[in-house]
Amino acid sequence: MLLNRSGSGGRWRIRPDGPDKVTGALAYLTDMTSEDMLYGLVLRSEHPHAVILAIYTDKAKQLPGVHAVLTYLDVPGLNAFGIAHPDQPVFCEDRARYIGDAIAAVAAESPAIAQQALQLIEVEYEPLQVIDDPEQALLADAPQLHPNGNALHRTTFCKGNTEEGFKQCTYIIEETYYTPRQMHTYMETEGGLFVPEENGRLTVYSPTQHGFMDRLQLSRILAVPQSDIRIVSSPIGGSFGGKDELNVQPYGALLAVRTGRAVKMHNSRRESVRAGLKRHPMKIYMKTGTDAAGKLLAHEVSLLADTGPYSTLGAEVLNFAAEHAIGPYRYEHLDVKGVSVFTNNGMSGEFRGFGGNQSIFALEGQMDRLAERLGMEPWDFRRLNLRKADDPGPFDQPIAMTEGAERVWEAIAKCPLWQERKAMKQLEQFAREPWIKTGIGAAITMHGAGLGVGIPDPAGGRLLLADDGKIEAVFGYEEFGQGLIASLEQMLIEQFGIADGDIRIIIGDTDVVPDSGSTTASRATAMMWKSLQRLRAPFTGQMLERASSIIGFPAGQLRLSEGGIRKIGADELLLTFKELANAEGVPIRCETAFNFPTSATDRVGAHFMYTYSAVAVMVELNTLSGRVRVLQQYHAVAAGPVVNPQGYLGQIEGGSSMALGFTLTEEAVMEKGHYMTRNLDTYLIPTIADQRGTVEVEPIEHLPEDDEYGPRGIGEVGSVTLAPAIAAAIRQASGKWVNRLPVDPGSLQETPFFLNRAVSEG
Amino acid sequence: MGMNIQEATESPLVWQPQTAEEAWKYKQSYGDDGVYIAGGTLLRTQWEAGTAIPPRHFIDLNSIPGLNEISIGEEGLLIGSQTTLQACRANPLLQRHFPMVIAAVRTIAAPSIRNLATIGGNIVSVVGDSITALLAYDAVLVWYNGVKEQEEDLADWLPEAAKPGNRHDRLLLRLLLPFKAYRKEETPCSSEEGQVNSDTKLFHAYHKIGRRESFTPSLVTVSVSGLLTRTGVIEELQIAVGGGQTIPGRLEEAERAVKGKIVDNAMLAYLYDRIIELYEPREDIFASAAYRKRTAANLIVTELWKAFGGLSEQGG
Repeated sequence: MLLNRSGSGGRWRIRPDGPDKVTGALAYLTDMTSEDMLYGLVLRSEHPHAVILAIYTDKAKQLPGVHAVLTYLDVPGLNAFGIAHPDQPVFCEDRARYIGDAIAAVAAESPAIAQQALQLIEVEYEPLQVIDDPEQALLADAPQLHPNGNALHRTTFCKGNTEEGFKQCTYIIEETYYTPRQMHTYMETEGGLFVPEENGRLTVYSPTQHGFMDRLQLSRILAVPQSDIRIVSSPIGGSFGGKDELNVQPYGALLAVRTGRAVKMHNSRRESVRAGLKRHPMKIYMKTGTDAAGKLLAHEVSLLADTGPYSTLGAEVLNFAAEHAIGPYRYEHLDVKGVSVFTNNGMSGEFRGFGGNQSIFALEGQMDRLAERLGMEPWDFRRLNLRKADDPGPFDQPIAMTEGAERVWEAIAKCPLWQERKAMKQLEQFAREPWIKTGIGAAITMHGAGLGVGIPDPAGGRLLLADDGKIEAVFGYEEFGQGLIASLEQMLIEQFGIADGDIRIIIGDTDVVPDSGSTTASRATAMMWKSLQRLRAPFTGQMLERASSIIGFPAGQLRLSEGGIRKIGADELLLTFKELANAEGVPIRCETAFNFPTSATDRVGAHFMYTYSAVAVMVELNTLSGRVRVLQQYHAVAAGPVVNPQGYLGQIEGGSSMALGFTLTEEAVMEKGHYMTRNLDTYLIPTIADQRGTVEVEPIEHLPEDDEYGPRGIGEVGSVTLAPAIAAAIRQASGKWVNRLPVDPGSLQETPFFLNRAVSEG
Repeated sequence: MGMNIQEATESPLVWQPQTAEEAWKYKQSYGDDGVYIAGGTLLRTQWEAGTAIPPRHFIDLNSIPGLNEISIGEEGLLIGSQTTLQACRANPLLQRHFPMVIAAVRTIAAPSIRNLATIGGNIVSVVGDSITALLAYDAVLVWYNGVKEQEEDLADWLPEAAKPGNRHDRLLLRLLLPFKAYRKEETPCSSEEGQVNSDTKLFHAYHKIGRRESFTPSLVTVSVSGLLTRTGVIEELQIAVGGGQTIPGRLEEAERAVKGKIVDNAMLAYLYDRIIELYEPREDIFASAAYRKRTAANLIVTELWKAFGGLSEQGG
């Protein structure tokens, strides 16, 4: 059944943070101000690669209204940050490796003075050769960007013997795929307010996807105990992975500590483009072969990722891409290699889909090409090679078993759009305008959730009855628009029988919340669900025992309900939560802590829980202009029970709109280490006009009876399969294969047929 | 709010002249330090991109009466330079007589911008997407030069205006879209393609191709309009092309070469080649000149093919 408003009945809820967001009443952290605050700005490198000979700050410091000018000399602790491997300098000392590299920061009484101060800082550079191509960076004579060379990380996975395997193949497809440098383009650019408190602590109001990680990183930089720092990090105006790493926080924190004044930082869009993360551009070579019947025998993959100047999560993204380049298929022989390479281009890092988007575009491209070579229906070809429920994961690791792959395959096979594909040959003849061509394509994926083997991945939360009678749910997760608060509220209502008025949700404040791990990797909803499962019996037990001691009924006859305690099967309210909270006794409070489930393998990064999804799309190609429009999308997603129908639909629609940009319009173009697309007038994300087509979502809620993990993540998977499905549809429409994103309209143009020029342009 | 550079620098002075003469005097006083401003929507993007420096003096044209009106003059339709794009789009006279202008305006930016941006601003930008449509209608510009009003064909002004160092001192008051004799006979309800009489047929089309479906800079803009006889002879033809940073222009050589000819596949193939030859688009990192040429040629010949009933012949 399709997921929509009418089918969801009472489960379709207005999200609690919705009205304030829609009306603009909600204040984001970057809207905050403080009396007497200063304005912070960062001076960034003029050159993508240069030796820094000298930095002169005297003139800037003497400018009236300037309260601090900081350089690497002013960092009390570690002059570096990075979630996985801190190698990105807070301030460059002797070398700049990209045009976002920070040289100095100023705090001043107005933005104008801060800007003027930046102009008064003199930096002597000696420009170096710019490494703007990862292949060039790997050459023996290339300048080395880091002590261990230009390869940040290499990964391999082998099984069988691909050389022998290819000898047995009847059909082999070899292709190289290219994916773009995509920008997160969150509505709210990076920023925050940094407030030194009277007790000597520092409060940081700044978006992040893992408050405790920011606290750890800032404590290293400031050389203060973590307990001296409080991170307040929600609500957030979008992140998509882009704000997980530190951005302006080191500068705001250092400036606030130095001046003793509150400091506000807020990147302009141009600065956000210049300094911020992007999706790793990848070049992916694949060679894939089958036997005469179409059974996959051998699959060779070579991934090349441009990770930019510093590590952040470049290695982890590459590991993920390697796992997903194998995907939901079975092969006898595998040889997967990948390398993530340092360059002087912009920073690459975490981004919704985490390397899966690039790999699945290539992998599904291979499947379509092989099917065509075999003369098979592309979807039947996939079925032939698709994993079975009890097959191990891509790295042959044990995984939480579901029938997701088969079920999403079947949902697409049966969906009206895929049925229509079979009737398309006839349809073409009736096209009103012969230069408009339509096609239908589909693609499938399995997408891992959680950080994977070998990476600390804590989870947990707390429930308590507050003095005012509210049931407080306290989690270390973040709300960045994905609907986390709405989903938590809905789970509390449905699992505990209470009402929204009984609930207070507290997130995003390291002074208050437990470390529930990061809000990344499609993990938060699953971990909240698991936490509530673990908390339900003890918390409900404590509540009902206390109630029992007050009103005299046995706890076993009582239940939690809207507003307070009722007897099972009866409507009369016996005791309000407020009365319960005021009763004598130790505070009612339950906490749980556990880890995201991992696979019993020592393969670093391998996943245990997967979401399966597939999409069929119809596109329309105007061969006069070569432009492609997506007319219809049908998504099937197997992720266990739907926690929040509106949120689920929103995640798939939202993810697919990002994928639409990835496929058709978005590319942060760089030349010699400089961004050419510096603002949203040249970097084009899809508008509503680009998304006029319908999006239907069929959730597959089935899980095995003994499944203990509940809902799987859906935050990323909507962004993964659309690109290869569009490429397949373009093939059907035009006979042309797309191997590079975003799609180049010039390659799809045709000379009008009535000119009688048989050969199309390209 | 982000702390952009322009927000961090001192605010400029805004002058609000009440007459064209007064505006012109401000421009004379401040020279390069003063800039005429209407909606300001394009200038703002230039300041932000660093391709223009915000001036010290804004000469705000919004207070000058009479510059935002659309009326019928003796020779044609008069459109005040301060008429917003949205007002143009909603105007029944433009809709009826100059539909390619409506089609062009509809594709410019987004609604909030069209409410501020003016037709005059779009023209004096030299690369505005409305220009391609206006050229096809032989638009005439009416300037104030400090002494008197001056008329100048849009097609004559464009190449001069695009030259580096042009001071843009004159103030654009309005534009004139001449009524053509053969178009005048168009009945009010035949705003789409239609018969002028049983022997001839008017046709027109405007296309803008960008990098997304809306709110996009153009790569290619095309206007094609004219008059065909029932037997397929081209009696009148206007072809204008532009897009991106290309200065729009009419392809008069191509027009002349096919006027009086019959629309058939050989003629369209010839026209296609002529367009590829004559249209000289500026390329950038987003689209090659070759792509722009092919797109323009494809769109123009297809419109002619459609006008002569290509689709009905197809049985579609």
